[in-house]
Amino acid sequence: MQIYNDYKEHADFLTIYIREAHPLDEWRMKSNAKEKDNVCYVQPKTLEQRIAIANDFTQRFKFNLPFGVDEMSNAANDAYAAWPERLYIVDENGQISYKGGNGPFKYAPKEVRAWLAKRYGEVKHPEKAPEKKS
Amino acid sequence: MLLWTGISVGGLLVLTYVGLSIMAGGPKDAFEMVRFALPHMHLGKLKVGDSAPDARLVALDGGTRFQIRDRTQGRPLVLIFGSFT
Repeated sequence: MQIYNDYKEHADFLTIYIREAHPLDEWRMKSNAKEKDNVCYVQPKTLEQRIAIANDFTQRFKFNLPFGVDEMSNAANDAYAAWPERLYIVDENGQISYKGGNGPFKYAPKEVRAWLAKRYGEVKHPEKAPEKKS
Repeated sequence: MLLWTGISVGGLLVLTYVGLSIMAGGPKDAFEMVRFALPHMHLGKLKVGDSAPDARLVALDGGTRFQIRDRTQGRPLVLIFGSFT
């Protein structure tokens, strides 16, 4: 989100919701149930179910980036080998200019930031003051 | 000879499964990872410099369809793929 706010005047962003990574009926993550937001869904079987989860996500996190949902054919996911999460940058000529690794271990927003910073300049944020111990 | 080959292969399989269990969080997680995750995780053939594939997406309203390429305005396009879980 921060990268989007920093560079939205220079680049377009598109979030693409693809098949769930850790639904209840597949490789379930215990940690998802512990989150305060209780992120527990079964793998969507219909486009309507997929859209409902995507809307839940954007509303819960007030996620305001441009958003699209992959169709049940998983066409976007398959074309970009995107599952479970992945980042790309497509340049002005429609060519892949950055291909990130598969998440979660090789999902690196800092590499996207570096690509944008190299072209449009670095956006610095004031460092947060350390929290005072009571 | 055949016996030792069998023992070696079996031992390797057990060690692999133990390793996967540690990585995934438990024996059940390792099984679910192999069954549900690995078939969907691919490195992909796209390379930097390749023409970006297009695909049709659905907007959050559930009715509007658009192409990935529709969302470019002659500027770089950052694509963020992911899910909720």
